[in-house]
Amino acid sequence: MNRATEMELMRLLHGELPPDRARTLRDRLEREPELAAAWKRLERSWNGLELPSPAPVPLGFAQRVAAQAGEQAGALSWAAAPGWVRAAAAAALVTGIVLGAGAGLWTGDQTPAVQAADDTSEPIYADDLAESYWSALDEIGEAP
Amino acid sequence: MGIETFGRAAADPGWDALARVAAGETDAFAGLVALHQERLLCLCERLLGDVEEARDATQEVFLKAFRKAGDFRPQGQVYTWLYRIAVNHCLNRLRRRRLVRFLRWDDPTDAPAFDPPDQAADPAAALEARRRWQATRRAIGKLAAGQRAVLVLARFEGLSYRQIAEVLEITEGAVESRLFRAMRRVEAAQETPTSRVTPREGR
Repeated sequence: MNRATEMELMRLLHGELPPDRARTLRDRLEREPELAAAWKRLERSWNGLELPSPAPVPLGFAQRVAAQAGEQAGALSWAAAPGWVRAAAAAALVTGIVLGAGAGLWTGDQTPAVQAADDTSEPIYADDLAESYWSALDEIGEAP
Repeated sequence: MGIETFGRAAADPGWDALARVAAGETDAFAGLVALHQERLLCLCERLLGDVEEARDATQEVFLKAFRKAGDFRPQGQVYTWLYRIAVNHCLNRLRRRRLVRFLRWDDPTDAPAFDPPDQAADPAAALEARRRWQATRRAIGKLAAGQRAVLVLARFEGLSYRQIAEVLEITEGAVESRLFRAMRRVEAAQETPTSRVTPREGR
């Protein structure tokens, strides 16, 4: 028996054969013992495939999944943001650092005495900016 | 599973629920999970052959659906879309499992067992049922992932070729071909004598 005939039998088994072709094939099954034997073998194999009834749905499954989704929703806010938003946020932070550092240098050049007297203000400002930058990068998962 | 749950003809109210999910309404998501959990758990269990793994997989499938809800375009049925995610997810798990077994030199037919409660009052009948389940698991366990998916969807989910093609995003011809090859292997596996079955092993 060729593959085409075997596939026809399979379509017949699955109810995928158009009615006229199904009728023709059924007629052949009555006349051709080899075909009938192949049909019986296929039917037996198909019906022999058995699995136990599926396990019941665990109690509270939907609520647990929904709760987990809710938790993820918060954590996903940065990750779900479009790429351009994340890129713009990163660029803004970098710009802020550069400007902050530039301002620090300029102030340092212009007022060395004040800098010496009040030397904690600007380094802290720069540290804050850097911290913000790294925190934000961590949040969006792009920290190098 | 009937034909009414698939296809493009019928409007699926699940779209509205999915749109609400995309807008961040967790309650709508809980409703969607409640609506589809039974069938997805069943599908995952049949594909993976393990109840606990199926529960984990189903949970992951729903969470994946939650993350992708915004990407979903209303064509076809929500259930088809969920089925697609579930099948792909389970097939990936199966491929990982096979890789791990290969690396460990494990017997590929030594798949995790079902653990259903004994439903038959007659021990002999229960043993016979377990023998049939074991034979089926062995036969399915020998199939390539794609063939396994087609066979499970056709035999146990009762989907038509068209519905299977829709879920797997392949042609009906490919469905037919995979099913044909799967059945060839099943027949060969069924002809192979099975090992001794004990009441707890034959699941």
